[in-house]
Amino acid sequence: MDNLSLEYGRKNFIRNDVLVNLATFLSRRWSGNPKTAVILVDGKIPFTNIQKNIISLPSLSYYAGTQFQKYRQWRASLWYESMRMAFSTKVLSYDHAFGYILNSLESKRIEVLGLKEWEGMENELIFNEGISWLTRPLLNSLYGKQKIIEAFSQYLLTGYIKGELFGSELERVQNAVNFGNEIVREAIGKSLGTDWLERHIPQIIKLLQINPLVTIPLIMPKSRIGLSLSANDLVNQIQKISQKKNKEKTRDLIESLVEGNRLVKEYESIVRESTRSDNKGYGSMEEFGLSVPDSQFLDESIIYDKDLITRLKAAVRNWKIGWVETHEESGDELDVDAILESQAKPFLTDYKNSVKTKIALLLDHSSSIEDEEIEYKKATIALCEALKFLGIKFAVYAFSTRDRKVKCWVIKRADENWSPMNARNLVQIRASGGTPLAEIYNLLLPVMKAFKPEIMITLTDGEPSDYNAVRSIIATYKSMGIHMLAVGMGKNISTAVNIGQNLKGLEFERTLAISRLHDIPNRVLSLLKV
Amino acid sequence: MIADTDMAYLDWNDSLNLLNRANRASIFALIIGPKGTGKTSLVRKFASDTHKQLHSINFSLRTRESHLVGSKTMNRGEISFVEGILIKSMKEGTILYLDEINAADADVLLRLDEALDDRRQIVLKEAEGQTIRAADGWFVVATINPLSHAGTKELPPQLLSRFPVRIKLDYPPPNIEMEIVKYHVNVNSSQEKELERAFKLANSLRDAAALEELYYGPSIRESIAFAKLISQGMPIKQAAEVVYANVYEQWGEVEYRKVMDMITSIFG
Repeated sequence: MDNLSLEYGRKNFIRNDVLVNLATFLSRRWSGNPKTAVILVDGKIPFTNIQKNIISLPSLSYYAGTQFQKYRQWRASLWYESMRMAFSTKVLSYDHAFGYILNSLESKRIEVLGLKEWEGMENELIFNEGISWLTRPLLNSLYGKQKIIEAFSQYLLTGYIKGELFGSELERVQNAVNFGNEIVREAIGKSLGTDWLERHIPQIIKLLQINPLVTIPLIMPKSRIGLSLSANDLVNQIQKISQKKNKEKTRDLIESLVEGNRLVKEYESIVRESTRSDNKGYGSMEEFGLSVPDSQFLDESIIYDKDLITRLKAAVRNWKIGWVETHEESGDELDVDAILESQAKPFLTDYKNSVKTKIALLLDHSSSIEDEEIEYKKATIALCEALKFLGIKFAVYAFSTRDRKVKCWVIKRADENWSPMNARNLVQIRASGGTPLAEIYNLLLPVMKAFKPEIMITLTDGEPSDYNAVRSIIATYKSMGIHMLAVGMGKNISTAVNIGQNLKGLEFERTLAISRLHDIPNRVLSLLKV
Repeated sequence: MIADTDMAYLDWNDSLNLLNRANRASIFALIIGPKGTGKTSLVRKFASDTHKQLHSINFSLRTRESHLVGSKTMNRGEISFVEGILIKSMKEGTILYLDEINAADADVLLRLDEALDDRRQIVLKEAEGQTIRAADGWFVVATINPLSHAGTKELPPQLLSRFPVRIKLDYPPPNIEMEIVKYHVNVNSSQEKELERAFKLANSLRDAAALEELYYGPSIRESIAFAKLISQGMPIKQAAEVVYANVYEQWGEVEYRKVMDMITSIFG
């Protein structure tokens, strides 16, 4: 259990995959960029990599306040980053003055541009500014260049400074902010972009009298100073911000803005979705000795083959209805066939597609697939996308060897929705080691007892190292009512057939042999027809 | 201008002109576009402009050859052949409108193919093998939904080649959508501003549906419905919820909430 749930109890627990799923949807719509991917990186400030179409956000625990307030700030951060994706051409690193100043100016520019399209965000941005103001550092607690830069950022973005500046410091900051506001206004008025603003940063640095490469310590919304302030202080702060923005609101409106009535139902539905679980009392996957891939800075797009996915989805469209209608003629030939021919063919055969089935997929990542790892992953991703498209409930596991230990990886739990995050889990599994199937089945046994899939499909390209043990554990699975199916993958037809034969010997109920990896999705789906 | 007939159609991407040219050159046309982009309105407008009768058939898996070609029936002890819509249209030289042709079964398409080739004739095995030749001026226009739509499949290549003029009809840009909506509903200037925001929402949802991130994308009909509701004084956000969001509830609360978040981001 992470610190969120420790802090607020199970009822307010929000799962990261639920957040990422929503965030990916919203950021794509807000930014207008359909390739945007959102990743969660704990403890880092929100950041956008425009070239890679990636928005990285911290998890909710990064923000201050109640769990709902954290969610609102997190959503506002997502909006700002989406606006960067939409309107900026570059985002520099925040850890030196030059980048920090440019990003601050850009925040101001994209906020104005973004609000033209997403007017409804205004209240949320005011709330965000109000609550994050409480956690911004007091200038008196900072020293030297960092103090000047933080003061510049505070004054530019909000029109206030928190704490005191003395003498020439105040003057320097005011001059730089006036100049900054002027160029942001000009950029918006003349539709000029990031590059144009960037050309003016040296002038701001000169006005602030700092070194452009001065290092900025990790900034600062993390600061808990001010958290002792009451809800009343927050209301006052928001009122102040509204006045500053010439959007004066009544006390009642401000209070309703602080309560966030417009988002509360959304938040509640996320919490409900997060607590929906089929684990039946089992806490986390790690308790089973399974491993969850944890690397976040990965690009899953290399294993996303859009063409393959689209073709597959077109091919399985009938499945969504659940029935396939085919027209067949039957009966013996009669002399009256001329009459029959002139009539509509009345005989219909309906096949049931088992869309309601629960499926577990186990992917072999032993060293023998190393040569074709990417193709293999592309095919399995397409399969998962098709399963998601059909609304089939499924879980995905993979096994490989790391640090001389056999690992069974959880790519997708049964109780989560398929999302790019799961693809990211898969992309980081490196093919290595042997095929210790029995060991893996043993590891998965308690999870399968909880999930109770009707079908378990194992994709493998090798012979298991432990024949008899595999036979016995497969018998155990079958006794639980799980249909055990296997797909053997070979580099050519004869190897594939050999592997298929070997798998039959392991007493799988059905086996398939495949020599072309891109056949995997269709062949696996064909196993679901009854 | 408020349209009072079904013939209201705004030819924003020159499709009508293209159809007229295809008709004059006797080249059959295929209109490709997602649902609710005005394909049927375009064809009806075209038929009305050319003063020709329009024979229409909407295809589905249940459409049979006999619906197209005709079938024998028994009437007072006499067996007679009742012509289907294809034969009627060919004989009378009317406009034949084959709606959602790619939803039809392969057998049906095969029979259609026979009539559409350059000879413009069909042999009726159902009626003593008589040959039906199309009258002068016979024109066929078909529509297909993009393959990403439920229930659609690829058109066989030989049939595709019978329609060498292909007209792409997508959702119109917002300014055109505004004009189309104003054809149907009287709106004042403040409502116009709300409509612009509704189009922004609709386009976002259409984009999401095209990427299959949502199961459904709203059509122009929804925009017209939204305009009608707000012109009757319904609060904007409620109208947006009723017209655009509620439909997603059937795919789960999270899907619905995603769309509600879009509505909140736009309308507050």
